[in-house]
Amino acid sequence: MKPRHNMDIYALTWRLPVLVWQTLFFIAPLVFMIAMSFFLVKNYRMVEAFELVNWMKMFSRDYFWDSYVLSLGLAALATICATALAFPASYALAFMVSDNIRRWAIFFLIIPYFTSYLVRIFSWYVLLAEAGIANGVLGYLGLGPFTMLNTAFATIVGYMALTLPLVVILQTLSMANIDRSLIEAAHNLGAGRLRTIVSVVVPAGKVGLIVGALFCFILSFGDFVSPYYLGGSKPPTLTILITDTTKSGQQWPRAAVVAVTMMATLMVIAYSAIRYAYNRRQP
Amino acid sequence: MGAAQFVLENVAKRFGNQVAVNPMNLEIRSGEFLAIMGPSGCGKTTTLRMLAGLEAPSEGEIRLNGVRINEFKPHERETPMVWQSLALFPFLNVRENVEFGLKMRGVPKAERAERAHRWLQRLEIDQFAERDIGNLSGGQRQRVALARALVTEPPVLLLDEPLSALDANLVVRMQTVLIRLQKELGITFVYVTHSQSEAFAMADRIVIMNEGSVEQVGTPREIYRAPTNRFVAEFVGTNNIIEGTVSSRKAGMLECDTALGCIRTLCGENNPIHPGNRVDLVIGADLIEVSAEPIWSDNCFPAAFIGEEFVGSVATLHFETESGDEIRVQKQQRETESLELAHGKPLYLHWDADTVYCLASRTSDERGE
Amino acid sequence: MRRDRLVTWLLRIYLALIFLFVFVPIATSMVFSFNSDRFPSLPLGGFTWHWYDMVYKDPDTWEAIRTSLLVALTSSVLATFIGFCTAYTDFRYRFRFKGAYLALALLPPTIPLIILALAMLAWFSKIGISGRVGSIIVAHTVLCAPFAMAVIRLRLQQMDRDLESAAWNLGANELAAMRHVVIPFTLPSIISALCLTMAVSFDEFMIAWFVSGLNKTVPVMILEILQGNVDPRINAIGSFVFAVTVTLVVVAQLLFSAKTTTTRS
Repeated sequence: MKPRHNMDIYALTWRLPVLVWQTLFFIAPLVFMIAMSFFLVKNYRMVEAFELVNWMKMFSRDYFWDSYVLSLGLAALATICATALAFPASYALAFMVSDNIRRWAIFFLIIPYFTSYLVRIFSWYVLLAEAGIANGVLGYLGLGPFTMLNTAFATIVGYMALTLPLVVILQTLSMANIDRSLIEAAHNLGAGRLRTIVSVVVPAGKVGLIVGALFCFILSFGDFVSPYYLGGSKPPTLTILITDTTKSGQQWPRAAVVAVTMMATLMVIAYSAIRYAYNRRQP
Repeated sequence: MGAAQFVLENVAKRFGNQVAVNPMNLEIRSGEFLAIMGPSGCGKTTTLRMLAGLEAPSEGEIRLNGVRINEFKPHERETPMVWQSLALFPFLNVRENVEFGLKMRGVPKAERAERAHRWLQRLEIDQFAERDIGNLSGGQRQRVALARALVTEPPVLLLDEPLSALDANLVVRMQTVLIRLQKELGITFVYVTHSQSEAFAMADRIVIMNEGSVEQVGTPREIYRAPTNRFVAEFVGTNNIIEGTVSSRKAGMLECDTALGCIRTLCGENNPIHPGNRVDLVIGADLIEVSAEPIWSDNCFPAAFIGEEFVGSVATLHFETESGDEIRVQKQQRETESLELAHGKPLYLHWDADTVYCLASRTSDERGE
Repeated sequence: MRRDRLVTWLLRIYLALIFLFVFVPIATSMVFSFNSDRFPSLPLGGFTWHWYDMVYKDPDTWEAIRTSLLVALTSSVLATFIGFCTAYTDFRYRFRFKGAYLALALLPPTIPLIILALAMLAWFSKIGISGRVGSIIVAHTVLCAPFAMAVIRLRLQQMDRDLESAAWNLGANELAAMRHVVIPFTLPSIISALCLTMAVSFDEFMIAWFVSGLNKTVPVMILEILQGNVDPRINAIGSFVFAVTVTLVVVAQLLFSAKTTTTRS
C-alpha cells in the first residue's frame, strides 16, 4: 500500500508557476518594503539596517498626521458619498427593471474600467475648470462661476469617477439576489416602500453594501491621481506623499513607512468591515 | 462462461474518513455480463471506477488475468467505460470522438478512420459521422459513446448507468443493442445500475451492494427467488416480507406464527432454523394465487382488495389482510378479469409452502440500522 | 398609487443621471479630441484632426505605443499561462493549504497600486532588474494573473469532470488529456483571458510609472503630459487607447459567450 501520487510531477507543474511567480514578485516586494522602512539613508544611498529612525521621523511630523487624517477623511467621505449615491440607482436596477436591462446596465458600468482613468480625470479637469464646461452650463442658468478645481469637492468627484460604477454593480448584484417573497411579505404586512427598504432590503443586502463600501474605501485611499490633479495636492494625501518622496530622491525608506502604515490601516479596516458584514448582530 | 478475469480481493475504498466500499471479494468471469446493482451511494460506481483505475483502492488487491493492477494508471489499462454523463468531447465531432482512443494509441490516420467508420456503421450512426455532438439525440449520443469505447476492441467494457438519462422505450431498445453486442463480441460487460429491470433483463450475474458492502452475488433467478438477506429481498422485485417466529419444525415443514396467522414453509435438512427463531418470510408477489372461495392449501388467508396499478400488461394488486397488513400480488392483466375486482371485495390469497422463502432475521444491529 | 408612479419616474431619472456622470467624461474626451480650441470649453470650436496629427507625428508616441504593446503582449501571455495553471490546479486538485494558495493567487488586485508600485520599485532595484521594459512586464504579470485565473476558472466550471477521466480511460496519459481535452475545452476562455489581461496592462500607469525608468508606456506618457499644461493631445491619445481596450474587451466578451451555449455533451 503506497500512495500513488507520492511525487506527482504533473500536479506540481500546474501548482508551481503561481507560487514561484507571486512569491518572487508579489510577496517578496511587500516583505522587502516592510524591511526597507527600517533602512537608513546615508549620503543619498540606502543602507540596509534595522533602525526605527524613519518611523520616528515620520510619526513625529505634523504633516504626516495631517496627511493621514486627510486621506482617511477623504476616503471615508468618498465611501459615504458613493454608498449613498449608488443606493437609489442600485435599488432601481435591482427591483425596477428587467433582467435583460440589468445585464446591459452592468455591462455599461464595466466599460469605464477599460477607459483610461487618467483620461477621465483629465476630462473632469476640463469640465470643472473655472472657464470649463460645468461653469459654462451653470452660466446659461445664471449661476456661478464656482471654483471647483483644487478643492476637496473635485477630489471627491474624481473618486466617484473611480469607484461609483463598481459600487453600483456590487450593490445591484447583492440586492438582485434578495428573495422577492421577502419584499412582498413586507408589503403584505403593510410596510411602505421606505419601511421595506430599511427593514428588509438593507439587512438582506448588507454584505453587498459593505463590500461595495470597502472597495470604494480601498480604491479612494490608494488613489493618487484625483487628489493630485483635481484636488490640487495641497495638503498632500498619503499617496501624494509616497509619490513625492519616492520620485524626488532617495528617501524610499520614508515612503515605505507611509506605505506600510497605509497597508496596516487598510487591513484593519478590511478585517473589521468583513467581520461586520458577516456578523448577524453587532453590539 | 470463462475463467476469472478480474479478481477483487479484500478491496476497500475510503475517501478521508468516509467509507465508500468495505473490504469486498468478487470474481468477474471472462465474457460474462455482470450487473452491479444497489441504491445510490452503495459503492457500486466506486467499485467500477477502481476497475478502470480512476480510483485507487485503499486496501486489497485487484488482479486482471492474475496480474496485480492496483498501480496501473487509467491509460495503462484497457478498460474503456461508458459514462453516466456520456462524457463525449463537445469540441470534437462524432467521428473524432470515436477515433479518440485510437489516436491516443498512435494508430495511423487512415486506419483510424476506417475502424471508426466500421463501428459507426455497426451502431447505425455512420450518417452522423461529421456532426457536432450537440446536434444528436439522446439515443444517438449513447451509440457514439458505445462506439468510442469499443473501437479499440477491448476485452472488457465498463458501463456506469449509461441508460439513466433515456426515456423508457429508448431504454428497452438500447438494452437489446447492448445484449446483442455483448453476445456477438463475447467480451465482459460490467454494468452498474440502480435499475432492477435493466439488471434483470441483461445480466448473467448480478452483484447487489448496499452501504459499501456486497449483499449477494448470483444469477438473476437466485437473487429473485433465493435472496440471502432481507435487504436483497426488499430491494429486488415486489416481494412480500412477513415477520414471524418459528413455532414448530417437523419433517422439513416449518410452521411460523405471524400477524396473519400460521404460515407454512419448507425447510431443508441443513437449515439451522429452530422453533423460537425469528424469521422473515419472503413470498414473491407473482407466486400468490387469488380465489373467490377459500381453498385447501398450505397457506390460505382472507383479504380485501384495495387497489391496483399497471405496468404494461402486468397488474399489481393490493390486498389488506384481517391483521391490517398489505400484501401485493402480481398477475397478468387478463387473469384478473375473472375475479371481478371491486374495492373492498373479500377474496382469498393462497400459496404453496414451497414458494415461501424463509430468512433468519438479522438483528437490527447487523442490518446497520 | 400615483405616488408610486412618481417614485418610479424619479428613480429612472436618477439612474439616467448616474449613467450621465459615468459617461460624460468619456464623451467629453472624444468630442474634444476633434475640437480646435486649445482650452476645451463651450461653445465648441471647429472640427480638427490637429491633435491626432500632433500625436501621430510625435516619435515619442510611437515609442510609447511600441513599449505598451510589447508589455501588454508579453505580460498577457505570461499572466494567462500562470492563470491557467492556477485555475486548473484549483479545478482538479484538493490539497492542504489550498485556501492560502488561492489567496496568494488572487490577492494582488486588492493591494493599492501605489503600494505595489513602491514595493516593486524597491525590490526590483535590490535584485537588479529595475528600469527596464522587462520590469514592467514582470509587474504587470503579477497584477494580471488573477484576472486570467478568474476567467479560465469560470470556464472550467462548465467542464464535465468526467471529460478528463474519459480521455485517460481511452488511453491518454495526463499530458495528452491536457492537450487534447482540457486545452481545447478552455480555448475560448484562454483567448478571453489574453484580451482581458492585455487591456488591464495597456491601461495600468502607476506601477509602470514607478518601475519603468525611461521606458514610457502610453498611460505613463499621458501622466507626464497631464503634469504639464492642459493639452488636448491627451484626448486624442485617450480616445485611441479607449478604442484599443474596448476592442480587446469586446473580443474577449464575444469569445467567452460564443461557445458557452454548446458546451455540455
